[in-house]
Amino acid sequence: MARVHNWQIGREMSYWYPENRPKKQFAAVFDINKCIACQTCTIACKTTWTSGKGQEYMLWNNVESKPYGFYPLAWDVKILDKLGPQSWKGGPYEGRTLFEAADAGERVLGWRPESDDYAYPNVGEDDCAGQIDKGAALSLPHMNWLFYLARICNHCTYPGCLASCPRGSIYKRPDDGIVLVDQGRCRGYQECVRGCPYKKVFFNPMTGTSEKCIACYPKIEQGLQPQCFVNCIGKIRLAGWISKPEEARADNPIDYLVHVRKVALPLFPQFGLEPNVYYIPPVHVPTSFTRQLFGPGVDEAVKTYRNAPNDRDLAGLLCLFGSTEMMLSRWRRQGSVVAGIDERGDAVMQVPLDEPVHVRPAYDRIYQIQRTNCP
Amino acid sequence: MSGFSRTVTGPPKGGHYDLCVARGPACASALALTLIAAPLAACRPAPPPPVNEVVALVAPSLPIDPADAAWQRAPEYLAKLVPQDQVEPRLLTPSTPEVRVKALTSGGEIALRLEWADAAVNDTPGPGAFLDGCAIQIPRTLEAAPPDPQMGQAGRPVDIVFWRADWQASVDGRPDTLTALYPNAAINGYPFEARPLEPGSAAQREAATRYAPAQALGNRRVGPRPQPVEDMVAEGPGTIAAASAAPGGIRSRGKGARTATGWAVVIVRAVPAGLAPDARTAIAFAVWDGAAREAGARKMRTIWVPLAVRG
Repeated sequence: MARVHNWQIGREMSYWYPENRPKKQFAAVFDINKCIACQTCTIACKTTWTSGKGQEYMLWNNVESKPYGFYPLAWDVKILDKLGPQSWKGGPYEGRTLFEAADAGERVLGWRPESDDYAYPNVGEDDCAGQIDKGAALSLPHMNWLFYLARICNHCTYPGCLASCPRGSIYKRPDDGIVLVDQGRCRGYQECVRGCPYKKVFFNPMTGTSEKCIACYPKIEQGLQPQCFVNCIGKIRLAGWISKPEEARADNPIDYLVHVRKVALPLFPQFGLEPNVYYIPPVHVPTSFTRQLFGPGVDEAVKTYRNAPNDRDLAGLLCLFGSTEMMLSRWRRQGSVVAGIDERGDAVMQVPLDEPVHVRPAYDRIYQIQRTNCP
Repeated sequence: MSGFSRTVTGPPKGGHYDLCVARGPACASALALTLIAAPLAACRPAPPPPVNEVVALVAPSLPIDPADAAWQRAPEYLAKLVPQDQVEPRLLTPSTPEVRVKALTSGGEIALRLEWADAAVNDTPGPGAFLDGCAIQIPRTLEAAPPDPQMGQAGRPVDIVFWRADWQASVDGRPDTLTALYPNAAINGYPFEARPLEPGSAAQREAATRYAPAQALGNRRVGPRPQPVEDMVAEGPGTIAAASAAPGGIRSRGKGARTATGWAVVIVRAVPAGLAPDARTAIAFAVWDGAAREAGARKMRTIWVPLAVRG
């Protein structure tokens, strides 16, 4: 085990390999508050990459309802249960990461899903519990709220899958930080499936190899955002590049949201993988729950996001989400116009921060009819 | 055929005859056991007594079927298995305790029969599903001190032949389809099997390959396959790779079958370089129990065992 620095947990930690950050790191911000679970992202990925034999059950991108939805079944609660209670008061993480908590003989703390665990994505997730007889009551640990969690591979800085592979079949590209399984080298041991706490590596029984999200790297190489980003109906996603905190630039969209405003947070940072998909947490969910998902910064992030209507820069940058297929390296706001800038410095998209609002009266005086469409 | 076959002067002999001409460390004890068993041998040929090294008897032909009667005359070596607990991921819970090994050689090739107990058949791959298998490992070159038994070491490769139960099922006729693995699967269709692509056409196969990158890269995990075994080379843990398929490269074959208590597998490969009646090399064995979720480094293995030839 080597000692590496993980800025998300504010301290050094143990990892199987020495720290070796890529020249650029692919990263993304998902605004959970805008997700409607339409699954268009899921289908966009499915039709592009996983329509082959043995890939039927695979969802490299999925959207699940929290707190009671999972894909695969119980993926998060199982690893949380294995890791056990940990402490994080807000400074450096005081608990153990999955690498530090690995059992004897293992490289990372993990578990393996089975076929049935993948069998029922989005089945019954939004239902409370079926029929409740008259006079009976239903009580759940988390009542009266839910949110949708869209998930892809996090292309972690310290991937659990990469650390787990005993034959080095998984690699992190030095140019963009995308994590890939070498399909020519993989021998299908499923150690990566076991070692990824997010369960975003999948075993293909027809090819005998493990497969995963490739961040649509053929598109990224052309300066384009991945399929699940550009097909998002709710425009919740923005792809880009993240810097180390000490090198953060306010004109880098991802840096601004993650490092400057700290409104976008990693998923389960306490696992220690330094995941590179960041979430703007749902503002309506008790932070006693979201703190476990996104770390101790969640209260401040919700406060910042709630103030977006009064925050022209933050609101302006959020307007760039889903506005273009191009990867945006920079951004700027001039008055009420926000520009997205590509790698070459060209402004490839401009969006208005303020759009005209038209209020259509419920009663049409000209035609003397109610416009409401309720029966 | 190399020189071994020239030592065979007649038809295959029974176990008694073989023991009488045996050379090497097993000779004295084998002879004593033979004398004790002599009265019973009048009824039917007794199996040869166990040996303390793997002894390959010279035979005119090598049976690929583990149930072939020719195996009855080969002496059996009982190889104790230990968990692979040297490199992560380690196997910390022992599973298969031992593997029984017999060997025959035609001079040019050597056939090894491995038999071990395994109550459950694990021959269906899938998420969280693992496969029964076994392997033999032999140093690439004949040396006084073989390389590390843990899959060799840098500059000192080992040749490995790997048998797996799902490959055997494929060779035995299981279709290379998803419904063969998941009988209740319902599949609406695949884009590469839709019109206007003609079934079986080059365009259709090319479209299908787009969704199977392992196949496109020639990864031998992808079925179907003509043999249930695969030739590999390794120079230490984590380095295993497919052996060259070029002419002259190792081309092993094999066959596995269920027994009343587990698996019996025959692996036939080229005789190791330098192995002769008066010279020994080393061999090691490994067994994977799919029910115990063993794969890759999580396996039961032996240390190096002497491998000798007896004419």
